[in-house]
Amino acid sequence: MKRLKHNTMLYKGRTLGIGLLWPLLFMVLGCSDFVTVDPPKNIMVSETVFEDPATVEAALANLYYAMREEGMVSGNQGLTTRLAIYSDELDYFGNDLDLLGLYQNAVLPDNGEILAWWSQAYGVIYGANDIIIGVDASTGLDQGEKDRFIGQALFVRGFMHSLLVSLFGDVPYVTTTDYTVNNEVSRMPESEVYGRIIDDLLMAESLLENSEVENGERTFVDRYVVKALLSRMYRHTEEWDRAANLATELISSFGLEDDLEGVFLKASTETIWQLKPGEEPRNTQEANQLIIFTVPGQTYAMSEGLLSAFEDGDGRREAWVESISDAENTLTFHYPYKYRASFSETESLEYSIQFRLAEFYLIRAEARARLGDIPGAQQDLNAIRNRAGLADTMASTESELLGAILRERRAELFAEQGHRWFDLVLMDRVDEVLGALKPNWQTTDMLLPIPESELEANPNLLPQNPGY
Amino acid sequence: MKKLSIYRGRFNLFLLFYFLLAPWLVESLEAGMDFGPADFQSRVSGTVTDMDGEPLPGVNIVVESKDIGTISGLDGSFSIEAAADDMLVFSMLGYTSEMVAVAGREDILVQMEEDVTALGEVVLNAGYYTVSEQERTGNIATIKSEVMEKQPVSNPLAAMQGHLSGVNIVQNSGVPGGGFSVEIRGRNFINGESDPLFIVDGVPFGSQSLGSFDVSGQIFSGNISPLNAINPNDIESIEVLKDADATAIYGSRGANGVVLITTKKGRAGATRFDAHLSTSLSQVSHYLDLLSTPQYLELRREGVNNDGFGALLENPVFDGFWPDINLWDNDRYTDWQKELIGGTAFRNNAQLSVSGGSARTQYLVSGTYQRETTVFPGESRYKKANFHSNIGHRSKDDRFQLDLSTMYTIEDNLMPRADFTLQAYTLAPNAPALYDSEGNLNWENNTWDNPLASLEEEYAVKTNTLMANAMLSYRIVDRLVLKTSLGFTDYRLSSYRTLPHTARNPSFNLTPQSYSSITTNTSLRQSWIVEPQLQWKKKFGELSLDLLMGTTFQQQATEQLVVRGRGFPNNRLIYNLNAAETVQVLNDQDSEYRYNAIFGRVNLKFKDRYILNLTGRRDGSSRFGPGRQFGNFGAAGLAWIFSKEPLFGEGSVLSFGKLRGSYGTTGSDNIGDYRFLDTYTVDGEDYDGVAILRPSGIFNPLFGWEENRKLEMGLELGFFKDRVFINGSWYRNRSSNQLIGIPLAATTGFSELTGNFDATVENSGVEVDLRSVNVSTDRFKWSTSFNMAVPRSKLVRFDGLETSTFADRYVIGEPLTIVKLYHSLGVDPETGMYRFEDYNGDGEISSTDDREWVEDLAPRLYGGLGNTLTWGNLTLDVFLQFKKQRAYNTVRFNATPGYSGNASVELYDRWQEAGDITSFQRASAGLVIGGNSADTQQRRSSAAVSDASFVRVRNISLNYRVPNLDNGLDINVYLQGQNLFTLTDYKGPDPEQTANTRLPQLRQLTLGLQVGF
Repeated sequence: MKRLKHNTMLYKGRTLGIGLLWPLLFMVLGCSDFVTVDPPKNIMVSETVFEDPATVEAALANLYYAMREEGMVSGNQGLTTRLAIYSDELDYFGNDLDLLGLYQNAVLPDNGEILAWWSQAYGVIYGANDIIIGVDASTGLDQGEKDRFIGQALFVRGFMHSLLVSLFGDVPYVTTTDYTVNNEVSRMPESEVYGRIIDDLLMAESLLENSEVENGERTFVDRYVVKALLSRMYRHTEEWDRAANLATELISSFGLEDDLEGVFLKASTETIWQLKPGEEPRNTQEANQLIIFTVPGQTYAMSEGLLSAFEDGDGRREAWVESISDAENTLTFHYPYKYRASFSETESLEYSIQFRLAEFYLIRAEARARLGDIPGAQQDLNAIRNRAGLADTMASTESELLGAILRERRAELFAEQGHRWFDLVLMDRVDEVLGALKPNWQTTDMLLPIPESELEANPNLLPQNPGY
Repeated sequence: MKKLSIYRGRFNLFLLFYFLLAPWLVESLEAGMDFGPADFQSRVSGTVTDMDGEPLPGVNIVVESKDIGTISGLDGSFSIEAAADDMLVFSMLGYTSEMVAVAGREDILVQMEEDVTALGEVVLNAGYYTVSEQERTGNIATIKSEVMEKQPVSNPLAAMQGHLSGVNIVQNSGVPGGGFSVEIRGRNFINGESDPLFIVDGVPFGSQSLGSFDVSGQIFSGNISPLNAINPNDIESIEVLKDADATAIYGSRGANGVVLITTKKGRAGATRFDAHLSTSLSQVSHYLDLLSTPQYLELRREGVNNDGFGALLENPVFDGFWPDINLWDNDRYTDWQKELIGGTAFRNNAQLSVSGGSARTQYLVSGTYQRETTVFPGESRYKKANFHSNIGHRSKDDRFQLDLSTMYTIEDNLMPRADFTLQAYTLAPNAPALYDSEGNLNWENNTWDNPLASLEEEYAVKTNTLMANAMLSYRIVDRLVLKTSLGFTDYRLSSYRTLPHTARNPSFNLTPQSYSSITTNTSLRQSWIVEPQLQWKKKFGELSLDLLMGTTFQQQATEQLVVRGRGFPNNRLIYNLNAAETVQVLNDQDSEYRYNAIFGRVNLKFKDRYILNLTGRRDGSSRFGPGRQFGNFGAAGLAWIFSKEPLFGEGSVLSFGKLRGSYGTTGSDNIGDYRFLDTYTVDGEDYDGVAILRPSGIFNPLFGWEENRKLEMGLELGFFKDRVFINGSWYRNRSSNQLIGIPLAATTGFSELTGNFDATVENSGVEVDLRSVNVSTDRFKWSTSFNMAVPRSKLVRFDGLETSTFADRYVIGEPLTIVKLYHSLGVDPETGMYRFEDYNGDGEISSTDDREWVEDLAPRLYGGLGNTLTWGNLTLDVFLQFKKQRAYNTVRFNATPGYSGNASVELYDRWQEAGDITSFQRASAGLVIGGNSADTQQRRSSAAVSDASFVRVRNISLNYRVPNLDNGLDINVYLQGQNLFTLTDYKGPDPEQTANTRLPQLRQLTLGLQVGF
């Protein structure tokens, strides 16, 4: 009996002890360590991203992804369709008011497409800047890796600014990641922006000097891609020697695809840079948008003007244009058929091509014509014409040639990244051509408006472009 | 970081230890604790009965001087240690408390008198402690099971609507399983987070939805309320803590108020079985008046002509532009509201419960099954099974107490992929038939998107919710009690959405291989909490002291995996990701939240009428960066029960009078996890096989607590023995150091930066609660309850507002709930276009300078009025809810006649020729660029907001108790109606839910039967 009592006393003491001890223990342990947690598995703290080449690759992949899916470069809102309706390539049959605004050259400063282009471009530029700055400061990467990463990021920064400056005129050239600075940036004169783009590209060219895309699919940026954009930029700044020299380098490294049907396949020999689509067997967004599946129900269709721009016997009219009619066969629409399917049966066959060699034959032809090298210009122009099954050009003076080159660019590069629009602007023909064609056209439509909400968020971007 | 895992291990060990030990502790304590009677104590026993001499089980008996307590057994008997000169306090809900002196007796007989007003002994749950209604210093509103039981709803929040002063609850969708928004005393924070802290039986319950927008975006806006898991019939009471005195003990999480949900417990008594069956029918309570086919087509044609495209109407190339005019049958008419949201939803509910127990151990086990359909076409349904159990025990010596509750709920919801409401309001009245003659979906030569295609697309969500909690308490020595509250919740959600190719137009030639996809969301939230506490009470003469000290450790882990599979051999295999050609992970993320605090309370009471209540808390949260994790919060409350002053005698008309006041601080860390880090996020996308890392946050280490200071004054008065009870309060809450997403220019690469901003928001107001027993005779009883809140809110301070990106949203001196609009001047009789006030006189109407008309969309006054009438066995309850407010009307959806898509019939009254005085401008098909600016502006103008005040018969219930059954059967039959009738001038879908994209709340009629024996 006594022993039992003792035991229960013991229990009592123990439970009391435990009861008292726990809260005390917690109060002792309760400290800031408990409320410090690891970052979750889907998030990396920025500093750690730049210490490992694999994660930098992933940060770079984000830039390619963003260019493919969002904004001006490709994807649903890419320049291809938007500038084709803004100029004279495609007619628009939808009822999206933002797109109707583009189609009718009546863009308002609150146009959602324009805001999306602007925001997405600077988002990509932020990503590029973060890589440039982070990789530069990194201690975990070797020099070769650093050059390769920074070279690609510099290209992307230059590329995005090149599109912005072509569409909006004076724009801020953003090179830091500091939001306090970037939140209050001012616009920089167009010529200075081109200077900064070319500086970035020259730097990228030297950093990527020995680089070449390894998988043969040309889905990443290497030195050739940088040269291609540089050549394009020198065309914009009318530095014809340089434009021609870079085009020559590309022409000597790539070859035109003989078969027109093969030009837009992923293995085309003339592709300099293409963006690989998302999950297999998906192909390009361009195909998805441009191909007409049903009539009625068409969104875009080729304009009369574009259809009649092909000379008789032009193989491209056959190979790169398709048509569809309604059930009663009373209505027929034509659409670009460069990309032929929005998805394939088993694997992706078409990628979104950003630079292909034909453009550089035409850039060199133009540069040579401007520099007075008439035979050289004819030779380059003929390379493109002959491939399309057309005879040599009859143009023999500089101005005839420039006219012929503009026509050739229209037939060769139609419905691709807004080439037609940029050509009309660069060759100073836009007022003449669109003024005659589109009732709402005004000279000030040459530049798009800076998005209204951005002017509100950062008054340093004022004044708005004229005409808006 | 290894350190952390040690911590985690230690906690798991602790939990395991405690759970294993608990039952053993009970026995050892029961066996061993009652030896050795203490000095001068003797065992007093006795019986408690009602005035008729029937024994009363479950009466609380407390030795006043020592705070030792017990409960009476089944036969009303009790036994307790008390000294010869002690006082015993007998209390029980519904009875007037009795104070009985032991006076040396060993056997005591006590008779308790029923309290007609039922107000006297209301004990409120204040979270870490309980307080009597009479002695509370803070503002605590409560709703009891009796009131909730009378409402046929499946979410506890629905049952609270209108019943609690200062608590504004709005149902977001009439689709079963949808969410609610809750605001207690207005919006405090600019970032919009107004969710209060929900606590179920002492355990914080994450009320945020784990829905994924990729899966449920189009049916619930991604918002699936986790509170659906709590069966309203399992709830004993809900307390809402409003002022600083009540909420400061919740520190950083108390700023938006605290909602405490207490589930039902077993009661001592014979084993009792209860069965509850009910059936409800629901329908949309209000349809919009839309255009008829001739009206619609007339406006469309007029619009196209006005736009200058009349000639194109004849050109078939453009038929695709206006299929409704040129391609569809012009004589066809379908009432799409009837077709798409006009069904009747059924709900069947069955609940069975068993309860009972002895004076020492009580239990309750209850199971519920519910099945509910929707008003949509198709086979949608929502099923819910719920299990709730509770066991309570107290040791023989009344030192040890244990209370365990478990709740487990399975919800299975199968819905169409998208809410049909928008389609019902906007489909052209002559839109084609849904099915062709063969019963297949009709695509009318590809000229429309058949709305029923989304029935092919399934959305299914299954959730499993487990909540378990234990409260262990042990009286170490007299007056000192050690309590530990342990809780665990596990919320799992698994949902999917299918997009089979058959839901798309066949002319696209889609195949299962190329198109069909399924998106799944598997999410999990687990949290545990441990809160050891010490409580000490002592009386020094006329001064009583009640001390509480405790600490909290809480961890919450959330995981979400969203996967999409695309390309299936055929649609039968669509549910199996293995069969998909590509599987893409859209989201794979986890997050962890840890929270640590110490808290305390000091309650001083002098002469039973002067009460001081001090509470405080020091909080640490993982949501903030190093060095900013901790914050201190506290409050003081005072009460003076002046009716106990000798001035007021026994016979005074004023039976109760109390003045109270409180002031204190609370905070908010309601901003999501990890927001202070400079981060890159993996989001499941890839480029050429490389998974992408996307920049997702700008580093901001200076990120701290939001602060909220609350001041309150209250006056409570009871008249005629508390038969009339009035409770009035005035409050003023000021919230500062606001955490907001400061919008950035796009050139920064981000749209916003979350940081503290020096802005102050003030919410003040007056709340009145009134309860009265108007008539109380043997045959007839009539009681009334009334509550009303008049809130005011304003932005007191916002430095640099004019130049900030918030300039177009807020105005100093106005509430956060305002919208800035154009001032519509109506239609110009000459031009037929809307005109607006040009505030800055620059000749143009611009969104930056001319949206200066301010409308506040928060309610100005709201509340409820309930009446209960009882004649013998028949009880009638009528509850009215009212709100005075302004809201967006149908002009918000459409202000111009002639656009594609149906609209309000009001649009028919439009301008046609010079001189017409109309409320709607000239028709347009919306095809002129820039021509729609007047439309957009009108939709964002003063004309788009109008009075949306209403008085709603939220609930009527008629209950009949079958009388005089000798066999012990207790039978109730009832008929209830919810949201029966609304008196309002408002013309939109519902004055409380003005969006046209979501199903408004339904009208519901329920027939039910309760049997108990």
